[in-house]
Amino acid sequence: MAGNKRIMKEFADIQANSPPGCTITLPKEDDLLNWEVTMDGPSDSVYAGGRFKLAVALPKEYPFKPPNVSFKTKIYHPNVSNDERGSMCLGMLRADEWKPPNKIVEVLKLVRAVLAAPQPEDAVEPGIANEYKNERRAFDKNAKEWVSKYAK
Amino acid sequence: MMNRRPVATAASYYHLPYATNSFAHGQYHDPAFLSVGYRPLHLPLQQQQHSAEHLSLAGFQDPGFQLLQQPSVHQHSLPVRTRLQHRRAAQEAMAHPQQSEEQLAELQKLSNAWEPEVIGPLVGPREPSTKITTEYASADPVYQVKTAALPQKYSHYRTVRGDGKCGWRAVGFGYFEALIRSDDSTKFLFEEARLRSMSNVFTAAGIDSMVYEDFADEALGLLRRIYDAAHTGDATEILFEAFNDETVQNYIITYLKLITTAWMKTNAGDYAPWIENGQTVDEYCDHSIMPIGAEIESAGLAPLKDVLLSPAGIALEVHYLDRSPTDAGDIQNYYFGPASQPTVGTVRLLYRPGHYDILYKNEDFPQQVTTYLQFANPDHQDYVQNIAGCDFMTAIPGGSIINPHQAWLSGSCYGNSVSDISATPAPIQQCVQRTPAAVHAPSVIVHQQLQPQTLYIPAPPQQLITPPTELPQELVIRTLPQVSLAQAGLHGQGAGPFRASPWQYEDGLMQATSRMPLQTTIFRNSHFNTAHFNNPDFQPEEWKPDDDYVTTTSKGFRHRNG
Repeated sequence: MAGNKRIMKEFADIQANSPPGCTITLPKEDDLLNWEVTMDGPSDSVYAGGRFKLAVALPKEYPFKPPNVSFKTKIYHPNVSNDERGSMCLGMLRADEWKPPNKIVEVLKLVRAVLAAPQPEDAVEPGIANEYKNERRAFDKNAKEWVSKYAK
Repeated sequence: MMNRRPVATAASYYHLPYATNSFAHGQYHDPAFLSVGYRPLHLPLQQQQHSAEHLSLAGFQDPGFQLLQQPSVHQHSLPVRTRLQHRRAAQEAMAHPQQSEEQLAELQKLSNAWEPEVIGPLVGPREPSTKITTEYASADPVYQVKTAALPQKYSHYRTVRGDGKCGWRAVGFGYFEALIRSDDSTKFLFEEARLRSMSNVFTAAGIDSMVYEDFADEALGLLRRIYDAAHTGDATEILFEAFNDETVQNYIITYLKLITTAWMKTNAGDYAPWIENGQTVDEYCDHSIMPIGAEIESAGLAPLKDVLLSPAGIALEVHYLDRSPTDAGDIQNYYFGPASQPTVGTVRLLYRPGHYDILYKNEDFPQQVTTYLQFANPDHQDYVQNIAGCDFMTAIPGGSIINPHQAWLSGSCYGNSVSDISATPAPIQQCVQRTPAAVHAPSVIVHQQLQPQTLYIPAPPQQLITPPTELPQELVIRTLPQVSLAQAGLHGQGAGPFRASPWQYEDGLMQATSRMPLQTTIFRNSHFNTAHFNNPDFQPEEWKPDDDYVTTTSKGFRHRNG
């Protein structure tokens, strides 16, 4: 399959040259469609010091459908759903905004950028987004609490 | 399969795939428009409900409601009446503010997740364009007039699945098809070299080779496969299969989007004025070309034509079929020829707001005189039967095979056909074994006599596109024996009193004689004989020891090539 070839290539590339603060592994060695990413919280953000586990699930139709990114570690963030799925859907990850030439490296870079700078306009958690916009101090406190509670 | 779809559903085919997020898409896919243009009465109940559902969702497309994305495609083509309907629907929806945020979010989620059932193949078979006329027979008068005029100009069309990529797919398919039609294999090599050299354009546009190479490989690979197949003649089939393979065509469409983007970015000055909403070329490429769900718009069609079609010498024709009234009842027609080079072919598109299909003119196919063998069209079947030597017998009272005389049906001929056939002379039996249709038991043959329509055996599909290299006269003679004479032999001997002549059961006979004219004494002594010193291709006769024992008559007539 042409798609698989591309995934293999991307995986090799990402292993050789992984984006800052990210480690990528395959939970099951023969399953190229499910990646596990360990991402360090950006040092200049409230998530500094935390280690977050992410699951990147590639659809069969990849690269013509976007990968599915979800946080396995709980995180207090307006763009990550506050449930057991921890799903994240914004910008280029949306089905009709996805561009086939996009690579997973870019996706991970985007995720990291969103950790550093949340996008409350695009939030999946309106409550957290409101707090982020209006009571920044409370948000920072909550986020840090969650980091020490779940992401250490 | 397309034939069996009822008329009303056929019209809704173009409507449905777009209904997801397309209130602004334009009349064609517009649920609100549906009531104006298509009379929802014709739609199955379920689809009407869909439309209603989306109308109510449309109401939430208020600027204040941020979550809903608002695509702005083909807004310009929206008639005032439709726009008014939108507004009314919006007002109605805002009059019920009791819906909570969760409910809205739920609706939003449903609306995002709803994927319309996309019907039809990615690229359909070529069909007579009269089908479009039939499809619109119950539409409003403007469409009726326009579609009635269509088949006079464009004999055939090909559907492209309306899944949001139809425009890209149609141009891509048309490009490859035009190359195949050009019947010039160097064209493929030229195109491959040209597209490979596009790497410069990509570099100039700041697109890394990592980004495009997978897609370029697939597109160039298809070009190469078609080039290789051009010799065996199944190039069209390979193209058709490739474009009906979801993955392959996705790669090719993405490649087309990439070259369009690269071209637009490197020639930003030419295209910037055509982009609406004050976007820059970079933004436009990012938001309206590259995303997987981005439909082609005229601002993207122009650079695609400039980068893909024009340098290959292919022209682009777009025909608008919309509700704008025209005086002549004719379809608006936009023609973009390549700037300098001679035209290799033309990609013709039929544009209905939001959707593209492919059109063909008669001149687009290789023209051949033997039309009755060229088309597997019901109208032409009769001719084949004529040749097969069946129908002329109806002229003899009681002599038709199709309607056999009573006397034939009763008695040995009908009841004991097996023994009948085994009793026929040896050469005919050999013929029976050779013809493929004789695999059936003899009783089946008797059955066939009673059902004339089964007599027709359609011409093999390759014959639809025979390369136009041969002379028409030659073609008549050569193709006849394959299709019909074998059949004629079969029916002739299976049918009773008529004895087959060697012309009917010897396959090679017609071909042999068509190439080698009868060698009469007059011919041998004329300058038409190559052995005559006055012949421009003079070739003295040589003595061959093998020929020594062949008599003059048989050498001249039957066994020379046999």
